[in-house]
Amino acid sequence: MKNFNITRRHFGMLAAGAAAVAALPFSARAAGGTAVAATFPGNWEDGYRKALTPILQQEGYGLTIAPAMAQDQLAKVMASPGNPPYDTLLMSPGQMATAIENDLIQKIDPSRLKNWGMLAPAFQGEYGPTVTIEVNGIAYNPDMVPKPKGYRDLFENPAYKGKVSWTGFASNTAVMAYSQIARIFGSGPTDMDAVFKLFRDNPEHLKGVVDSTNHQMTLFQQGEIAVFMCSTGNVARLKSLGMKAEFVQPETGSPAAPVNIHLTKGAKNLDAAYAYMDAAISKAAQDMLKMPPTEMFPTNKDVALTPSIEAYVTRDQLANMVYPDWAAINKNRADWIRKFDALVAG
Amino acid sequence: MMKASGFPYVVPMLLLSVAFFATPLAVLVGFSFSGSAGFTLEHYGRFFGDAFNFRVLVNTARLGLETVVGTTLLGVPIALLYWHSGRTARQVIIFLTLIPMLTSNVVRTFAWIVILGRQGPISEALMALGLTGSPISLMFTEFGLLMAMCQIDLPLIILPLIAILSRTPVQFSEAAQISGAGPWRIFVTVLLPLMLPGMLAGWILVFASTSSSFVTQAVIGGARNVYVPQLIYREVGTLFDWPLASAIAVVLLISTGCLLVAMTMISRHKRLVGHA
Repeated sequence: MKNFNITRRHFGMLAAGAAAVAALPFSARAAGGTAVAATFPGNWEDGYRKALTPILQQEGYGLTIAPAMAQDQLAKVMASPGNPPYDTLLMSPGQMATAIENDLIQKIDPSRLKNWGMLAPAFQGEYGPTVTIEVNGIAYNPDMVPKPKGYRDLFENPAYKGKVSWTGFASNTAVMAYSQIARIFGSGPTDMDAVFKLFRDNPEHLKGVVDSTNHQMTLFQQGEIAVFMCSTGNVARLKSLGMKAEFVQPETGSPAAPVNIHLTKGAKNLDAAYAYMDAAISKAAQDMLKMPPTEMFPTNKDVALTPSIEAYVTRDQLANMVYPDWAAINKNRADWIRKFDALVAG
Repeated sequence: MMKASGFPYVVPMLLLSVAFFATPLAVLVGFSFSGSAGFTLEHYGRFFGDAFNFRVLVNTARLGLETVVGTTLLGVPIALLYWHSGRTARQVIIFLTLIPMLTSNVVRTFAWIVILGRQGPISEALMALGLTGSPISLMFTEFGLLMAMCQIDLPLIILPLIAILSRTPVQFSEAAQISGAGPWRIFVTVLLPLMLPGMLAGWILVFASTSSSFVTQAVIGGARNVYVPQLIYREVGTLFDWPLASAIAVVLLISTGCLLVAMTMISRHKRLVGHA
């Protein structure tokens, strides 16, 4: 067999060629003005990619959707100060407060958003527009359990024994539910000792604690669990997959959280980032995102609600939702996370 | 001895190792000792001051060791089967060993949800055999996690064993048989010492893989079974306490290293390898 020989000159040329090929996509992307947008994984990621990419393309921009949970987005931006991996972040008020405190996001210039006027004043944040309101409640499988009345029912009605799944305090959905449970069983929304005691007194509930809502969705599909704390979006997704899933507003009220797009400090592609933000609050995008499987509540005034969204919540009901005190939650969250993890591990 | 002219070819690898292994490791260690007033042992104190953390560390090491035992018990017979088989059977064994490795760890983990669940084959089989009256779930149990880890990490021990046995003539066991040794004696006095280097390589790979397998631990183990990678993820991604996360990572690195050194020493014990 002929020996394979390579000279140093050829090796150098080969390495330079490989480097050029590797760098090509990045240079091409930069030339087109691409926004790198952090988005929640799953339904959000799919919906945003499908709805917003064509709109940005029409305006001459590219869009890279980077899926990450809100806490992960914060961690990654904190890890690279001054050189954020994302141009925009997607967050609820709890994480927004942390981002402001750590100087990770910047105030926006609303004059750069054509659709800004289509938002109600409550959705026009100085740190970015609100793209939807996530309404939370309880998801249940009607074939396995009766319709729960609220959080108290889950602990007191034996029909739910061993069929309810919970997540830790790192999840916004969970922390909003626990605040409500603390209000019911304790002295107020931050009385988590009452919640911990409740779990200690009902150890079968501790068996169903998993890492995230995403895992709960998988377990719900497999029939391993019948009830979990969710957003309307989770139920919409399960229904689109053909699952028997129903959403119920707890009798004490549905916790809700606005979801906002924020501009990171040091964002590299400002024009593309503003174009992405504007697309997310446009009628065209929100008309798509309000449909299954995403069924996101539209914040653009011109977008009519679908009957199925109105079945979850109407525009008039938004004011009556339970909006948690995120400052109080953020102050205690680390302590609650550690205590709950230790409690769950037994 | 390395020829003087060959050294330049090693330089790129050395530079890469320094840039992408030694430097990040030094940064990690540095982070774990950093406080607002400079050098501090505070983060290690916080870690060991909480009995929960120490228990998590012990659980992680135990899971790693249990998986090493489980994969060894499953892997050795498969490797011996390979050794005694013909060409076609050997190809089939290699194929079946490699195929799972080509599938993402995440996919294999989620497949285990189906297997371990209430409606999974294990539960169905137990019910069919009359061993249980109602469906059972092995999800969120340490035993379920151990089963999943053993399957996922099994190729990591089979492949080094096969590599060792491929170089070992089958006549070794025939000679021992002719000399009057029974199957167990052949296994213990001839094959086991021969396989030890492969086993050691496999143990190191399996232990390292299991103790750092974040996805499988989180999904199959659930929140009740907490292991060190989940603890590190929580401190980095949820609580943003990086110095404490670095300290936990260093503790994991050192404790894993100690166990691996112990395994190496055991496998090189003269009573074990004396007959090889």
